[in-house]
Amino acid sequence: MTAAAEEPRFAERGWGGALGLALRLVALLALILVVLQSALVVHARPQDLITGAYGMADIIRRAIPPDIGEIGKIWWPTLETVDIAIFGTVGGVLMALPLAVLAAENVTPSRFFYFAARGAIGIARSVPDLVWALLFVTAVGLGPFPGALALAVHSVGMLGRLFAETIEHMEMAPIDALSLTGARRLQVFTHGVIPSVLPSLTGITLYRLDENIRSSLVLGFVGAGGIGFELLSAMNLFQYRLVSLYLIVTFVLVLAAERLSALVRARLA
Amino acid sequence: MLRICNLTMRYPNGKVALAGFDLAVAAGELVVVLGGNGSGKTTLLRCITRMLDPSEGEVWLGDTNLAALSGERLRQARLPLAMVWQHASLVRRRSVLANVASGALGRHGGWWTALGGLPAEELRAAHGHLAEVGLTALAGQRAGTLSGGQAQRVAIARALAQRPQALLADEPVASLDPEAAGDIMRLLRRLAADENLAVLCVLHQVELAYEFADRVVGVRDGRIVFDLPCDALPRDAVRRLYLADAA
Repeated sequence: MTAAAEEPRFAERGWGGALGLALRLVALLALILVVLQSALVVHARPQDLITGAYGMADIIRRAIPPDIGEIGKIWWPTLETVDIAIFGTVGGVLMALPLAVLAAENVTPSRFFYFAARGAIGIARSVPDLVWALLFVTAVGLGPFPGALALAVHSVGMLGRLFAETIEHMEMAPIDALSLTGARRLQVFTHGVIPSVLPSLTGITLYRLDENIRSSLVLGFVGAGGIGFELLSAMNLFQYRLVSLYLIVTFVLVLAAERLSALVRARLA
Repeated sequence: MLRICNLTMRYPNGKVALAGFDLAVAAGELVVVLGGNGSGKTTLLRCITRMLDPSEGEVWLGDTNLAALSGERLRQARLPLAMVWQHASLVRRRSVLANVASGALGRHGGWWTALGGLPAEELRAAHGHLAEVGLTALAGQRAGTLSGGQAQRVAIARALAQRPQALLADEPVASLDPEAAGDIMRLLRRLAADENLAVLCVLHQVELAYEFADRVVGVRDGRIVFDLPCDALPRDAVRRLYLADAA
C-alpha cells in the first residue's frame, strides 16, 4: 500500500481535520490582510511607478556615460569607506569579545554579568547604525571617525550575540578537562575556549566586515565620510555622471568584499 | 596515596549515588572499579575531583583532604590529581604538543600563559611525556586529526604533564577497539609501576580488569560489593554484579 493510499480522506479525518483546514484558511486570510494594510500604510501607488518612469529615464540618460575622467578623485573616499568598515569591525570585535564571554551561559562568571552583558549587547543591536552615526557626528563632528565609531558600537550587537552563541555551543569536555588540570580561569579561556571557537569567530567577523562595508556607504549620507558622503554631494549638485561612477565603484567594492569574505570563510570551515 | 573515607553523595531529589564509600589506592597500584550503568562509578570520580561536592566524607590525596577545601586552595591541592576521560577531551585545533604542555598550566601563573603562551621548559617536558606514551612523531599534528587510541595516549601524556601522584581514568577505553584498549591499559599499568602513580580506573571490560588490575572493586547502588585482589576475585562474583544490575 502506498503512502497516499494510507492517508485518510477528508471525510474520514472528521472534525479534527476540518478544524485544521479552517485554521489554515484563517491564517492565510490574516496574512493577506497584513500585506494589504502594509500597502495602505505606505501609500503604495503602482501608477506612480509608471508616471515616474520618465523622470528615472531622464536621470539614467544624464548619468551615462559615467564620468571616468574623475576616477582619480575617488580613491581617497573609497579608501575611507573601506577603512571605516575595518576600524568599525576591529573596534566591534574588541568590545564584543569580552561581552560575549560574560554573556555566554556556560562560561559567564555570574548571573549578574550575564544579564548586564546581554543588556549591553541588546542596546547596541537595537539602535540602528544610522542613529549611532548621527549621535557620534553630533559628539565628534563630521568625517569618517564618527562613522567608524557608529559601526563599532552597532557591530557589538551582532558580534556579541553571535560570539556568545558560538561559545555556548562549543564542546565543553576539553574545557572541563583543562580546568581540572588546575589551569586558572583566564588560562582555560586562552588555551581552551579561544582555540576551539576561533575559526567560527573569524568567520563571523569577516561576515560583519562585509556588512560594515555596505553600511559605511550609507553612513556617508549623514556626514560620516567615505563614498556615501561624496555620492550625496554629487546628487545634490546634479552631477549624475559622477553619481553613476560612484555607484559602479560601490558595486565593485561590495561585490569584492562579499567574495573575499566568502572565500576566506570557506577556507576556515 | 589516595584514600576515600565514608564518601556519600546524596542528590537534592533524595537519590543516594554513593553511600559511605571507603577505598584506598596505594602508590604504584592500579585499582579497577567495575559496575553496571548508574551504579555510582562516575559519580565516585566526580566527587574525588570535586566536580561534584560530596554530601559527606573525606578524600585524602597524600596529607590533604580535598573534600574540606574550596577555591584557590582546592585548585592548588588538586594539581597532583590527574584525570583521563572517556573521550580524550583534547583541544582539537591545537597541536598534540600544546595539548600535552597545557597539563602543566596550573603551575604557571604568569602573564605569558594567561595570554595563551606555553613556557619553553614545559614544551620540552611535553616532548618527554609524548615519548613515554610513544607518540613523539605526532607532536606537531593537530589533536583533531588523531585516532581514538592516539588521542587517549595524548590525554594520558597531558595528565603526566601535571606531575600527578594519582591518576583517575573514567572508562578510558570505552570507545576504542580491543587492540587500542589493551595498549591503553598496558600503558596505565606501566605508568603506575614506573611513575609510582596511584591509578583508579573505571572500566566495563571485565577481561581487561583481570589482565591489568592489582585490585578490583565491584560497585552496585553506590556501595562496594567486593574489593579483592585480581587473583582472589571469583568470576562468579563479577557475573553476579552485572546480573543484579540487569535484574
